[in-house]
Amino acid sequence: MTVRLSLNGQPREVDVPATASLLDVIRDLGLTAAKAGCRIGVCGVCSVLVDGLPVSSCLYLAHCADGADVWTAEGIAKVRPEVVDAFVRCEGMQCGICTPGQVVAAVAARAELGPAADESQLREYLIGNLCRCTGYATILQAVKAAADGH
Amino acid sequence: MTSTELSAAEAAGPWVDTGTRPDARDKATGMTKYSADMPVPAGTLEAVLVRSPLPHAEITGIATAEALAVPGAVAVVTAADLPGGLAGRRVRDMPLLARTVARFAGEPVAAVLARSREAATATAALVDIDYRELPAITDPVAALDVASPLVHDAPWGYPGAVITEADGPNLQSVVTGGEPEAVSRALAAATTVVSATYRTPAGHQGYLEPQAWVAFPPENGTTRLWGTTKSPYRLRNQIAACLGQAPESIRVDPAPLGGDFGGKGGVYDASLCVALARLAGRPVRLVLRSEEDLVGTDARHPAVIRVTVGCDAEGRLAGLDFDAVFDGGAYASAKPTPPVNLHGAMDCALGYRLPCYTLRSRIAYTNTVPKGHMRSPGAPQAVFAVESALDELAAAAGINPVELRRRNLLDAGEPDAYGHVWAEARGRETLAAATRGAFCTGEDAPDPHTPSPQERGLAHGTGVAVYARPTPSPAPTSLMLTPLPGGMLEVGVPIPETGTGSHAMIRRQLAAELRLDPSEVVVRQLPTTALPGDPGVGASRVTVGLSRAVARLAEKWRASAHEGPVMVTLPASTEPPALTYCAQVARVAVDLETGQVRILELVSAVDVAEIVNPQAHQMQIDGGAVMGIGFACLEDLLEDDGQVLASNLGEFRLPAAPDIPVLRTVLVADGRGVGPANVKAIGELTNVPVAAAIANAVADATGTRVRELPITAERVYWAIDGRADDSPA
Amino acid sequence: MATEPAFVAPTTVQEALSAMQADGALAVGGGTSVGLLLGQSLIEPDVLVWLGRIPALRKITVDRGQLNAGAAVTLRELSWHPAVRSSLPALAGAAGIVGNPRIRAVATVGGAVAHADPRQDLPPVLVALDAAIEITGPAGTRAVPAADLATGPMETVLLPGELITTVRIPVVPSLRSVYLRFTPGSTADYPTVAAAAAASRDPDGTLASVRLALAAVGPTVLAVPEAAELAGQRAPSAAAVAEIADAAARRALPAGSRLGSARYVRAMAAVWARRALTDCLSR
Repeated sequence: MTVRLSLNGQPREVDVPATASLLDVIRDLGLTAAKAGCRIGVCGVCSVLVDGLPVSSCLYLAHCADGADVWTAEGIAKVRPEVVDAFVRCEGMQCGICTPGQVVAAVAARAELGPAADESQLREYLIGNLCRCTGYATILQAVKAAADGH
Repeated sequence: MTSTELSAAEAAGPWVDTGTRPDARDKATGMTKYSADMPVPAGTLEAVLVRSPLPHAEITGIATAEALAVPGAVAVVTAADLPGGLAGRRVRDMPLLARTVARFAGEPVAAVLARSREAATATAALVDIDYRELPAITDPVAALDVASPLVHDAPWGYPGAVITEADGPNLQSVVTGGEPEAVSRALAAATTVVSATYRTPAGHQGYLEPQAWVAFPPENGTTRLWGTTKSPYRLRNQIAACLGQAPESIRVDPAPLGGDFGGKGGVYDASLCVALARLAGRPVRLVLRSEEDLVGTDARHPAVIRVTVGCDAEGRLAGLDFDAVFDGGAYASAKPTPPVNLHGAMDCALGYRLPCYTLRSRIAYTNTVPKGHMRSPGAPQAVFAVESALDELAAAAGINPVELRRRNLLDAGEPDAYGHVWAEARGRETLAAATRGAFCTGEDAPDPHTPSPQERGLAHGTGVAVYARPTPSPAPTSLMLTPLPGGMLEVGVPIPETGTGSHAMIRRQLAAELRLDPSEVVVRQLPTTALPGDPGVGASRVTVGLSRAVARLAEKWRASAHEGPVMVTLPASTEPPALTYCAQVARVAVDLETGQVRILELVSAVDVAEIVNPQAHQMQIDGGAVMGIGFACLEDLLEDDGQVLASNLGEFRLPAAPDIPVLRTVLVADGRGVGPANVKAIGELTNVPVAAAIANAVADATGTRVRELPITAERVYWAIDGRADDSPA
Repeated sequence: MATEPAFVAPTTVQEALSAMQADGALAVGGGTSVGLLLGQSLIEPDVLVWLGRIPALRKITVDRGQLNAGAAVTLRELSWHPAVRSSLPALAGAAGIVGNPRIRAVATVGGAVAHADPRQDLPPVLVALDAAIEITGPAGTRAVPAADLATGPMETVLLPGELITTVRIPVVPSLRSVYLRFTPGSTADYPTVAAAAAASRDPDGTLASVRLALAAVGPTVLAVPEAAELAGQRAPSAAAVAEIADAAARRALPAGSRLGSARYVRAMAAVWARRALTDCLSR
């Protein structure tokens, strides 16, 4: 069954079963920034934006994305370079596996909380973006810088 | 975001590169390809493992007809189809697939190969395996008893085994040390003695990237693979040993790691993937699900540790007896060191002035997940026990716990319990820095905390803990420097970037040595065929070992004609290790009505020399502290009768951003490091004393002692006096 | 599955009901529950009926003292809605704390309620707010009090072919509501215990109604009818509140889990029922 969506600004068409996840569709198209981690929506490494909303693509049915505007970290990096710059400047990563999800969260946080969100609000917002490496300090700096700099 | 915004934004904005981390931009743009992201050739088969549901069972039959009927199914592979080699990093005791008996719930019994991941999963669900359940032994202390079921009939017979038949049942290894007689006498004569047993659960490194392997069938005698390994050369050698071939015939290609923390040094899944590719004659990709990592790979050893420690009337330590039983799980294969034991336990008497000690560290076989290395292996468990015991001793002796430590931390030039004399021992300065940092009074005594209105009804407490470990002398390694067309220099390195910033450090150091801008240097992990070797990431040896090699590489390059590649190979150094301290202070507020422990602040004082990359260094401190909080308060795989109950990240909870308390760092500068970079290890430091600091703070707040991790609200609740009798049934 | 499952995205409630009459039909809100169950191979639906395209189910209206939330309203929308924030703060709070922002962005009110996990945040708040769940089926519409929707863990009174269409909550100007969630381990975890309390007052300050409900203390959300005994008082004593809290603990039937043993959860039921009531009555 066909799903037509806009993926990082490009129209794409795929033929997938009803039970396919958006994550599998994205990765089968060669975009690997969104990854399979916990597969239950708690870790955040599969995060993408669907019509501007942050979504766990591991749980999101591909067919629910029919007609939707989907952005992965790769696409966000092209249209929101200031978010990437914030993460690079603040060194908001170590191993990097959670970084694409943090980038998505940074964009979503700015949209949902606005530019004046304080550190504790941003910290709460990242509850579903686990990081095992950094202790979160530099990620928070990056997310705050991305929010401020927009 | 719409398509019109894309074209407008694309035209705008410069790309800013501060040059601090060469991998930062790729990671932030999602361009970095990890093992499961790298493209595979058409025709690559996907592998899914079928795992034993039982902790101990005879495999009496495997029926595959229904499974093979699934569209896309290619093969169901069992042990009978594979070579009989055993896998292991030191002791080779684990078969690639269980042969006649499954020894832990989660042990791979069959491997399905199919044309797609979906087909492989559907096929695996239909593989029909008959088991005859056997008595399982899951308690490590009981396992050492002669009456217990045996996990292996004759484990002393395995290649690399370090135990003998005479050592008793279900033993993976035993390390003893010290002088039992001297300790007995010393404790008998001591003014105050305490003795208590401490317990820690099974944990996991909790990296967010599940393990993944891609292996190719041999071509011209060479087998190629890539995957989630932090020690490619060791892996190559271990796969070769398992499959009975020459190490040079195996080539491990580079891949960055999505977190390691000691958990990605394993060999059995990699060896299995190689064997499957060989069997199938096609490339095979094996990507574990996150649950499989938690259930089936290298968990942290649970521990039961009895500590007995005494002091004289002045609070000077008289002797220490440390007796640990670790649960090693069903196979010893995941442990890499020669004694097949845990250095953190073997080093339990380090850091203090201790006239005598005894140590016994036994690791038992049980019918549970094989246990491996995790960030300072053995130390989080051992230090939780020893540092809790020291506080209990202080309380029994009526001495302030900070003062007790101050009186007993080692000075430079005096022998430690092992008889070793350290050129530098800055335990007391580090402790003072921690307490000053926490209390801000310039004195060592706790500063009384005035509760805010929200905090009323909460009991406040403060606890300290100290950890000492060696910074090892430079390990053997090799590096290659190649001039690239266009003028840049490429440093070829033998290890992946696991996240610690090792590649960035190499780039910076080489650039500094050759007076270049870092942007003129590029760092690339090479396949194992390109360099002689390296033991891999771990044991805090990367910065020390590589900085020595970079210095030598720069020297050789300067002396060369700058035309072609230049390589250096360095043996292990004879430079002595450096003693490295970390002292932590935890301030907590305990809700006595519920037992909930809120960590208000964790101060880490770290004994440092030179710091190559301050940002990366600080992240090791913070990341380590957070991992320590996870160990102290949150994480438990909940092994129960051989089953892992917390088998996904929704049940095995890693610390999330809002869980992090205020973290403060105090650097105790100007220490004497190791190697030309003059550094002290940082990667396996701040995760260690946290649990004891928190347990000590909880005891200070509530008057009750929690001796089992994690320190949950419920454990604190029941520990509070009289509570256990109070509740309705 | 003999044949491949189908996916349909109806745009009206009628179309959705038709689709739901098929064998093996499963309604999907945001997909967070269904996506998880599919990923774990725990369900094998024949038809997935996605409700996200039905405008009638995506509205929040306030009308004659009642707030009506369509079943496909997302938790994010519910938590940010001005009427919910001002008159039903406990509901805004609970909806705004479920899971993480990605879950809330797509998970729906109807889907949350239909999931019937006793540890969920929304159900105790809906019970405390005296909400009614409107269910529509081929035979028509019926309303079920929030407390009666779940019959067991992951089990509801929904019959095959029925859909939750609206959640209706009475709004009273004097209403004060509180939701407290006890997560002693990671704040991202399910609660060990959670308590929702709501109270309304007559113009002279006397309590007109007091309602209390708990999560994670038994096979379903726990309503505590004893709370109504506080009605008619103006400033109930600590002892009176403690009695209600003890009643809550007596009603609790915790199974014991990783989050707490049965004994501990029962003890915490009393503590957090008391704290929620005390907080609510002080506002």
